[in-house]
Amino acid sequence: MEIEEIIQKIWPKVRKKHLFPQIPLPKVIEGEEKVALEIKSKQLFISNSFHEKLKDTMKEEEIIEAVLDHGVTHYMYCPWDFHTHLTLYNEAKKVVRKKELAQKATTHFMDVVTDTYCVKEKDTKIPTLYKNLPKTGVHEVLSSLYEKIWGVDLGSGGHDERVNRLSRIPYLKRKKWGESIKKFTKVIQDILEEELKNEQENSQRSPNPLGEHSLDNYSLEEIDRGLRDFASAVQNLQEFKETVEDLKEELEEKGYATGGMGRGPGNPIDANLLYYMKLAESYTLPLRKLPIEKRGDLHPHSHMPWEIGKPFADIDVWTSFGKIMPGITKIWKKREGETYGELEGTPNCLIIIDSSGSMINPRERLSYAVLGAACACNAYLKNESTVAVYNFSDALRGNKIVLDFNQEKEQIYQAICRYFGGGTALDLNDIQFLLSQAGGPDIFIITDMQITNLEKLIEFFNQIENRVTAVHLGHNVHSTRFKEGTDKKRNISFFNIKNKEDIPKIVLGKIKEYLAPTAEWG
Amino acid sequence: MKNPFEAFQQTDGRKREIPLDKILKFKEETLSKILKGYEDLLKNEAKDLVWLMQYSTVIKAYSIAEKKIEGIEYTAEDIEEFCYALDRSDQIPYLITGPAGVYISTLCNYAKEEEITLHLRDLNVKINLLGYRLPPNKKLIVEGNVGDFTGIGLDGGELIIEGSGKNYTGAGMKRGKIIIRHNLGFNTGHGMTGGEIIVGGRIKGLGKIVGGKIFEREHLIFPNEGVKPFYF
Repeated sequence: MEIEEIIQKIWPKVRKKHLFPQIPLPKVIEGEEKVALEIKSKQLFISNSFHEKLKDTMKEEEIIEAVLDHGVTHYMYCPWDFHTHLTLYNEAKKVVRKKELAQKATTHFMDVVTDTYCVKEKDTKIPTLYKNLPKTGVHEVLSSLYEKIWGVDLGSGGHDERVNRLSRIPYLKRKKWGESIKKFTKVIQDILEEELKNEQENSQRSPNPLGEHSLDNYSLEEIDRGLRDFASAVQNLQEFKETVEDLKEELEEKGYATGGMGRGPGNPIDANLLYYMKLAESYTLPLRKLPIEKRGDLHPHSHMPWEIGKPFADIDVWTSFGKIMPGITKIWKKREGETYGELEGTPNCLIIIDSSGSMINPRERLSYAVLGAACACNAYLKNESTVAVYNFSDALRGNKIVLDFNQEKEQIYQAICRYFGGGTALDLNDIQFLLSQAGGPDIFIITDMQITNLEKLIEFFNQIENRVTAVHLGHNVHSTRFKEGTDKKRNISFFNIKNKEDIPKIVLGKIKEYLAPTAEWG
Repeated sequence: MKNPFEAFQQTDGRKREIPLDKILKFKEETLSKILKGYEDLLKNEAKDLVWLMQYSTVIKAYSIAEKKIEGIEYTAEDIEEFCYALDRSDQIPYLITGPAGVYISTLCNYAKEEEITLHLRDLNVKINLLGYRLPPNKKLIVEGNVGDFTGIGLDGGELIIEGSGKNYTGAGMKRGKIIIRHNLGFNTGHGMTGGEIIVGGRIKGLGKIVGGKIFEREHLIFPNEGVKPFYF
């Protein structure tokens, strides 16, 4: 029977066994003798060469069923999604410190989890497949491990101490996978190092018989979602950065760019920028729209005398004394322009962000200021408004970025993430210039308020009627002064950020409270 | 008419028990027994969460620990697991490094294996008193740094620390060998009467030593012309 026919026959059985996963019918490729399976964006490819090589020692249908069980379980159980894959890789990397070793450890760990799950939960031929696979290096240890934890004879044995340690890992406890992969990696670390050394010396890679796990397994959407979840889950920026830097080449090859999912070559991936982008995506900042309608149609502007031939519809009966008579009757002269209407609109936003020495460098540690600004930026961009950025430290000495109103997310993030260090002074002319570029934009200022010309800023804010969201980090005399100085202004609201969790919570909640009364102005 | 949901009928998905389940269950049970013993030791020895490091308190804690671990079947991996459980507040009500060290030493001294390796590099706490009374024919290898009073009262065993130790290492040891890959703190070998301490790095200071030998970076620094034995 041809391999395609076997797949056609086996596939419904495998699907049923795994509760009907949404995976297309596996395809056959010529492939390598040593690698049974390739997974590309949910599509399983079975190697014909592998099948041909093994079919003398094992029933053909059993080979296909076992390989499909393995592949489908990767999709259904471990890693399940790209976020889990990244998390496992990140934990393994903490132990081995080398990209190649971490990738190998992650692949092996995921295989052990997957196959153990299959053996425990499903009726599978995976043990028979392992019995017929070559057992060298790390595969010899893993084979001995399978013998011990599955209770089957795979013709292996030995490595007692390692196997003892490996067999104590709770592979099927998803919550403990982070801790488990670290223990797993520690036990096999020296074998992996040896293997890698041999590979480098011989310039030949020894492949994993049941396929490698790489970014090829995931679609761009899955990668995007995985990175977002990973950014929220990691302990700090450096972890995210290290992992993304490791995968940078693969990500770029896949066509993933910082600006979004692959269309065109895109810009090189900036891990810092990506971190704040993905982290900010996890939070939503609701914006209440203002009753400003930018309507381009005509509206009555002034009166003019009616003349014969002019439309009757424009006659203003109240100023015409009820008569239709040239010279007495008045009609409305209409003009085109912006007017208030019932439809609501979202104003544009000017983000003012402090990047002086007293603020955290966003490229070293998680900066609440940058995260807050990124959340605000997202909220306005989602509402199709434009965003301008004024990033400053000692602005009067040129340490500033003035980015005009636009909707280029990457450009805005670059401006937000820029760090100057040094002193803190605003140049109000810059702010006035930016405000003049858009009609009454909102202002979102985020700083620790230790600004040299704070009094001028307070004075300036007291003069304007734009909606201002002032966010300060930490508590100090300057923030108290700012609060006191702007206390009477209803259009200025004030938030204090003490920790990471405050950013989405406080800004989210307070914006609502603050926006509610402003709606009355219209 | 054909049932359109025929394919969705209950599958014969089996959920069988594999040896891994038993291994993990046994591991959990052993760990909970070891933890229970430790909690009992704390109840006896550190009721007010205070434990004074004295000669008599260490001896008393050790004898209680001996009783508490009686009948527990464990391996070196279980001891290591317990050390990591000490690091996690969800499994240990409170950690006092002194009794914890005495308890771990007792576990090591009574373990079936002659050679025990504890991989403790990722441990956040530095456990004191590791290797206390390590008997002859026992070899304890600790990967990672340890705390104060390591290998005190060593009784013929071989203690290897793949890291650094702190103060009073080898204090009161009678015989045996302590090998430290990196550095040691003050009062090293205080009151030791025999045995060897071999240090790969630097020693901050020696204690009042009665007998035995101490090597620092392959040089014999006790007994030496500058450092004579102390007589209590």
